[in-house]
Amino acid sequence: MTYSDIALYAVIFAVVTDLYFIKVQMITRGIFWLSYGLIFPFQLLTNWWLTSSNIVIYSPETITGPRLAGAPIEDLLFGFSMILLTLSFWEFYRARDKKLIKK
Amino acid sequence: MEQFHYLYVLGFIAFCAVSVSLAFRLRVPRFWRNFFIADLSILAIYLNWDYWAIEKGNWGFDSEQILGLYLFGHIPIEEVLFFIIVPLMTVIVYVTLLKIIKYVKEKR
Repeated sequence: MTYSDIALYAVIFAVVTDLYFIKVQMITRGIFWLSYGLIFPFQLLTNWWLTSSNIVIYSPETITGPRLAGAPIEDLLFGFSMILLTLSFWEFYRARDKKLIKK
Repeated sequence: MEQFHYLYVLGFIAFCAVSVSLAFRLRVPRFWRNFFIADLSILAIYLNWDYWAIEKGNWGFDSEQILGLYLFGHIPIEEVLFFIIVPLMTVIVYVTLLKIIKYVKEKR
């Protein structure tokens, strides 16, 4: 499996976890897309920084080729999955914590 | 000072996160406890992926620009910090937006 495959699976995994496993359904909320839109330019900036200075080096065989702001486009899928899962888990554990306090 | 290059990037993200939370006076009850648990899930998933990708050679790191401390043999310590600092920034942006939306609604 290449990075392209894994990045795609990561997005599927994140969406399925969010919608069906922990059922937060973060992806359906407007606030999620607003947050993502705000974080996105920062992701491009950090990606560019890490790749242009060769701190992180990608093997050419593992990516499809197109790059955006220096980083392989797979990084965008990777970033999306991580932002979605982070917010989904955050709401999931916070809701559980609230219930615990009430008891 | 080259070995701090990756850390500078992380420091920049952390600086943004701290600035935002101070500027908007964020006070979320039990923030750190809940963030810690949520981030453990993120670490468990993404460090596994990272380990596998580094081992396969999908990506690597310039050994001159990192501290040279490794977890589980070959995950640079900076990667671990990345999976803590980036989710922290994400949650802070989210919580800030919720606060702004609540404020705007109350003002109406």
